[in-house]
Amino acid sequence: MGQKVGIVEVAQLAGAETSDNYLYQVYRVCKEVLDKAGIRREDVGTVVSATSDVFHGGLSCANAYYWDAGAAFLKNGTRQDGESLLAFQYAVMRILSGHYDTALVVGLCKGSENPDTDSITHYMTDPFYQRQIGLNETVAAALQMREYLDRFGITEDQCARVVVKNLGNALRNPYAHVRRKLDVDEVMKSPYVMTPLKEIECAPKSEGLVAVLLANEKKAKQLTKKPVWFKGFGSSMDTFFLGDRDLLKGQITNAAQRAYIMAGIKNPRKEIDLAEITEPYAFQELLWYEGLGFCDPGGGGKFIESGATERNGDMPVNPSGGVLATNPYVSRGLIRLAEVVLQIRGAAGERQVERKVKTGLCHGTHGFAGQFHAVAIVGL
Amino acid sequence: MGRPVAIIGIGQTKHGRRNDVTYPDLVREAVIAALKDAGITPDDIDGVVSGTMPSMMEGVALTHFYFADALRSVGKPILKTETCGTTGISLAQTGYYWVASGMADLVLVVGSEKMHEGDSQATMSTVADPFWFRYFIAGAPGVFSMQAQEWTARYKIDEDKVRDAAARVSVDHHKDAFDNPCAHIKVDISMDDVKESRLIVYPIRLWDVCPNSDGACALIFASAEKAKKIGGKSAWVKGLSFCGDEYWYGDSDKVHWECAIQAAKEAYNMAGIKNPRKDLDVAEIYNPFTFIELLHYECFGFSDFGKACDDTLNGVFARGGELPCDPSGGVLCTNPIGATALVRVAEAALQVTGKAGAHQIDGAKLALAHGLGGASEFNGLMILGSKM
Repeated sequence: MGQKVGIVEVAQLAGAETSDNYLYQVYRVCKEVLDKAGIRREDVGTVVSATSDVFHGGLSCANAYYWDAGAAFLKNGTRQDGESLLAFQYAVMRILSGHYDTALVVGLCKGSENPDTDSITHYMTDPFYQRQIGLNETVAAALQMREYLDRFGITEDQCARVVVKNLGNALRNPYAHVRRKLDVDEVMKSPYVMTPLKEIECAPKSEGLVAVLLANEKKAKQLTKKPVWFKGFGSSMDTFFLGDRDLLKGQITNAAQRAYIMAGIKNPRKEIDLAEITEPYAFQELLWYEGLGFCDPGGGGKFIESGATERNGDMPVNPSGGVLATNPYVSRGLIRLAEVVLQIRGAAGERQVERKVKTGLCHGTHGFAGQFHAVAIVGL
Repeated sequence: MGRPVAIIGIGQTKHGRRNDVTYPDLVREAVIAALKDAGITPDDIDGVVSGTMPSMMEGVALTHFYFADALRSVGKPILKTETCGTTGISLAQTGYYWVASGMADLVLVVGSEKMHEGDSQATMSTVADPFWFRYFIAGAPGVFSMQAQEWTARYKIDEDKVRDAAARVSVDHHKDAFDNPCAHIKVDISMDDVKESRLIVYPIRLWDVCPNSDGACALIFASAEKAKKIGGKSAWVKGLSFCGDEYWYGDSDKVHWECAIQAAKEAYNMAGIKNPRKDLDVAEIYNPFTFIELLHYECFGFSDFGKACDDTLNGVFARGGELPCDPSGGVLCTNPIGATALVRVAEAALQVTGKAGAHQIDGAKLALAHGLGGASEFNGLMILGSKM
């Protein structure tokens, strides 16, 4: 892989519910990213979007609906379903193939107009066995959390710290949906939705419209003074039935290793300066620290207690507030990428971290207890 | 233009009403067939691309989770590509770009549909937006009926001639399907049978319409180095394209159909095709309705505008004609939607590698595969050749 792919610009809309028309939102976020880069729609090579059908938008073939609003009229475009970091990967592939010099990547989800996430994820079950028992992502997460507490002695207090940190960070992020100043005691008082998982430890349902413009090396340097470069990508899929898996040894390790190898990273704890990860349930942030190699297995609780992942720590995680603050299911992975790019550029406004950021990690996951993980590394 | 990319493995299920298998088992059947055809094991695969129609048709959301094991994707990277009826062609293109980018050497691409467990026309109605279209459009026939009538009126084609040409397409394809072991509907019907069959939406009659099929298709895309190392016959990707119109049906011209014309132009340029009717040896058109196949002959430059009916009645696109179209029987006989356009690519690959058996077009070296989707909004192409 000799060539480089640069991230030219990013744009996002706020996560809070709005009465704005979906097509207008799509148009606005695409227009914003193109305006920032100073190029016209006609100059964009290809468009790769990420959305999900029916449950996440009230439409089948949703890509047909927003095709022209999303800058793709009479263009070569395509779509990834479920995880927007995959749209990023595919757009990178299209540029590396030499067919295109620019690619627009968009993640689109109008969370306020569709059912709650659990109703939707329930339909990821197979119709014969799991659907009858009412499995959904929250049930799967509660099982995973119980296993995590029991096997590694992680405490509920340590999990609560994730909520305190992320919702606190969100206070500084104008795009965040839920923002709250809380302490651990307040989180501990939140009622259980499914023991040991508490209500406030579960992500909300949000709007999520995000656009990222990519370009090959030559074009990226023309379009921006501050390109952030694609360094590595890895993803991995796990087996379907929960009972067949060790819920604490997931595919996140596999995904991260692939990304690290491509990016030439040997010691992630030292070489990665900041991470934006997908933690729809608070305890998962601790478990993902371990899977990403930021700490040893079972060390997630102590790692957050060390303060390293605070906004002013030496390895900030989710300074945007993460998915606990803003959760547009399909778009959340690409929002992680947009946030990391802003941090590397020093353009994150009030939520800018204190330490210098040269290399950042973006993580996306979906499926029961993290059936699928994707990791992207970007940097200077 | 990137690294050369080959198709080195082709697997299809027997398409039809498959009550004998579960949905994941249907997927597994195609995957095993493709791996066997290429002579490789799941361990050799670097990444997997999966796709179907929307979740409403599947009864399961985000099917890549449910299919993870059947796709042999556990522990592997995946991409989940979905673009409506064009899903199959978009899947093939994802496989192509993954290899062309240098990020993978061997990619397994799988499309599938178990339509007898869903409701395809109800799902199609939800492609229409909830505020305006949904009240008017009941599934696919409505859209294609408007398009067929607009086309007939625009070029003032005699109604009987259009009817005859469409009937010719139907009779030929349903007969062709006898030579395709994977095809679903195989019948010997006459022109009159077609013309007298039940009216669906004027001018579309029952034998002008594709069936609901259960089926899956899997292809293996490889870099030139891998293709050489593994050996066997390869089909090489010579050109590819995808193009989308406006969403609002009334805003675009569906006769001088820009997304179809532009998609063809883009793919021909890449493949160095100047005169498609001469240069191509065979074409697998995405033909869920007879009239739509005729319209594509014109938009793809096989016939002049308004002349597809004459050419068809003169046998230009029949098995022994100048440019045989859909010798497999096409979508008209076999339509597992999420797999359908990938089946077009599979059939094109079979033709240029000389492995199409009883429906082989002698000496086929350059083949076109096509996918159509949305409310007649998307067209995608892939051109395959026998040489790198």
